[in-house]
Amino acid sequence: MLKKISVLFFCAISVFAAESLVSNFTFAVAPGPSTGTLWVLSRGDAGSGVTLVTLALGESQVNVISMKSDFFDQEKTAVHDGVFSDVTGETRRTPFLYTEKLGFVVPMLGLDSVESFRQPEGFYSVKTSRILETPLDEPIVELDSAYSSPMAKSIGAFAYDTSTSVLWFSRGILGIESYDVSGSISDPKISNFVLDAKDGSLDTLNRNKKINASENPPIFGLSLHPETSMLWLATEKGLYHQTANRSFEKVEALKDSRVTGVWIGGTPIQIIAETSAREESVTKSKLWRSWNGSDFKEVVFRDTLGKIQKDVYDKADYSVSNVAFIRNKAFLAVQTIEGSISGLVKLDSIGAIPWNHTRQWLYDVEAGVLNKNTILTSVAAIPLTDDIMGLAVSSYGSGISVSADSGQTWSHILNQTAVKDNLGTIRMIPSVTVAHGESMVAYKLGQRSKVTIEVFSYDMRRVRTIVKDVVREENAVRSSKATEDFWDGLDDHGRPCAMGVYYVRVKDNHGHVGWGKVMTLGGNRK
Amino acid sequence: MKKIALLCSLLVAFGYADKKAMLGSFDGFVERMGASAHELGRGNTGSADTSAQPGAYWNPALLSFRTQLTYNLHAEQRSLDRTGGSIGVEGRVGKRMGVGFAMLYRGDHAFDVVNDDDETLGEASPYFSIMYLGFAYRLSRRDGLGISFSMSYDNLDISEYYDDISLVNGYQSPVSFNLGWVRQWNEKWSTSVVIRNLSFSKNLSAVWTRNPSTDNSVISTEGVRPKVLQIGVGYRNTLFGKPISAWMEALDYQIADTLLAFDPDRHVWTGRVGFEYEVIPNGSVSLGMNDLNFSFGLGYQFNIRIGKKRWPFDVSYALLYESEANLWNPLSFGVRGWIP
Repeated sequence: MLKKISVLFFCAISVFAAESLVSNFTFAVAPGPSTGTLWVLSRGDAGSGVTLVTLALGESQVNVISMKSDFFDQEKTAVHDGVFSDVTGETRRTPFLYTEKLGFVVPMLGLDSVESFRQPEGFYSVKTSRILETPLDEPIVELDSAYSSPMAKSIGAFAYDTSTSVLWFSRGILGIESYDVSGSISDPKISNFVLDAKDGSLDTLNRNKKINASENPPIFGLSLHPETSMLWLATEKGLYHQTANRSFEKVEALKDSRVTGVWIGGTPIQIIAETSAREESVTKSKLWRSWNGSDFKEVVFRDTLGKIQKDVYDKADYSVSNVAFIRNKAFLAVQTIEGSISGLVKLDSIGAIPWNHTRQWLYDVEAGVLNKNTILTSVAAIPLTDDIMGLAVSSYGSGISVSADSGQTWSHILNQTAVKDNLGTIRMIPSVTVAHGESMVAYKLGQRSKVTIEVFSYDMRRVRTIVKDVVREENAVRSSKATEDFWDGLDDHGRPCAMGVYYVRVKDNHGHVGWGKVMTLGGNRK
Repeated sequence: MKKIALLCSLLVAFGYADKKAMLGSFDGFVERMGASAHELGRGNTGSADTSAQPGAYWNPALLSFRTQLTYNLHAEQRSLDRTGGSIGVEGRVGKRMGVGFAMLYRGDHAFDVVNDDDETLGEASPYFSIMYLGFAYRLSRRDGLGISFSMSYDNLDISEYYDDISLVNGYQSPVSFNLGWVRQWNEKWSTSVVIRNLSFSKNLSAVWTRNPSTDNSVISTEGVRPKVLQIGVGYRNTLFGKPISAWMEALDYQIADTLLAFDPDRHVWTGRVGFEYEVIPNGSVSLGMNDLNFSFGLGYQFNIRIGKKRWPFDVSYALLYESEANLWNPLSFGVRGWIP
């Protein structure tokens, strides 16, 4: 038997510190231990860690009551280095789950031979008072060289069976692993299995077994059916689901597909699967769905005129980061390779719900989901009260956003350094920007005002008017409108400004003037 | 005086004209902001004044009019933590030649480095400098020609705050050169022509590529420093028996990487005008306008005698109002002297 009981390390048994997110670069949000709380996973300049956020529902927005953060070990993280740059769906997301017994569960990755965070080492489980490192042994097996890279064995998805207290997770070419904490979380029973594609059985992974990918396809994702507790497996050779006799059957519509993820939830039950494969240096991705027990069909994208549009998902090179289900709707966090485009895709009984926007199916910064043009990294359904299921998204650089009305309005929660009232401080975030970068102008008004923001060169020549006489509201923290009040390093004619220091003036119509500073490293121009 | 008024109005009209090209977003602010408090007080006019210092910067041809070794220092503190200054030394070589060195400096001594996470990482002091080495030849009693070579060094001072990127702090530009001519027509009139920022490359353009990181993790940047045609006129006379002078300069910035661009959208025209009046013996006041920046200056010449030798030197002060940004800058001081 290859199974070994992993050693549990109680690391950082400390009082959770800091009333702020670990970082505004967040990669996952998940329900917290009680209603109105949520977990946030961050990885920023200072390191990686988690934050437990307690929320309260206000009249018009979701308010933060408290935040408690703690860091992972500096040499480890939960977000691997290729999360934006990998080209197929299975490793372009950060898996996570909230489980009753183990708490918030995310992968644990260390540094590989080239000092990159791409070495799966186990998983973290985080409860209110501690971060638990759970190293996992790598079963000693014989692998084809095509699957020898560490990330071929990374955790792709978690699923937790509350009735049996078993945490399941997929491990790529190593199949799936069960982490049974029905006895005690300090004495788990760990088992590894591979799928036998021929007879649909789940075979125990024996020591020195030679894993043949065509017979034991890599398992990229898994999910538990909320009504039957049956496992669904997203594999390199199709989508499988467990049957009443515990064996696995292949879903006919996806029998030849490379299925990189499967998500189940909602009322009625929706099963969403993603296929993603490289063909001639191009990623081909599709979204599939089974609605209320029906056969799997490719997700329909209708435009605002009701006309069906083909290949919307694949044309954009999207991949799914996560799916949140609220009643009969599914909210898919999607992003393109390198994150140039990201947002939420909403699915109802017919298919993707469009809205009046240049990217008709994508709810992003223009729909207020994010507070600036950044990458949306994940989504989750969060119980805000006993009656209200909220929606929360994480983003790369803009903290998290929470909606109490299924995405109609959003509250943005992020770390913000205090700025002085009446334009007393103008803070550029970040103050050093690169080509194609953006720097937000952060300021605070004491009253509702008309604001003008301009950028000047060192020799005080006006090079850019960002906004002119626009109305901004009084706010206890910031009055900036992040979707408009930013400088992109360009002058008024859209040309990148030369490398150097620039000065940003914010004026209101009450005689207040504030100055901020920003440095651009320039862009290409001649 | 009518001619002066006409020229002034033309220069102001150039300054206000709406042009597509935007000078502020282009490389070269250190050069545009000038040197020396004395010249700043009269609108940064200096290219047609044979006594303007540092000559290697204003117009290398001025160096041919030097008769003794001179030095100049300038330091200023502008609003928003902007510091600046210049230093120059120049003198005569042989009967007809002059040589000079100048260095111009601009910086910001309190730049907060804030990361994407809204955390202040520290305070940087970026600075930008240009060095000039000029040579001049006196063609006649009234004419001089000159050339100066210039090279910039910029230091952004931010690399220590970024562990995950190998950022570059310092950037050195390739050598460019400037050509100048000055003619002292008579006791009253002088004129000058200066062509700045030519380079030993295609189209004679001062173009460079900068790579902000050694690991190529940051997109490289390309820049062109505009070629400048600067034409200056000086007029000296007396008013109530006291010396008065008027100075004007028209500048054309060609914002294009071409030898010559005829598209007016690729040009920015600005003007400078300044007046200086010796209100008391050795004491002068000056007024000026550089583009849309207004200035006021005071100066006094001291004569110190050490042994048998006179060591004259000027002390200058300038007040500058940067009108586009509504900023007052009351701290600009300069000294220039002649070594016997």
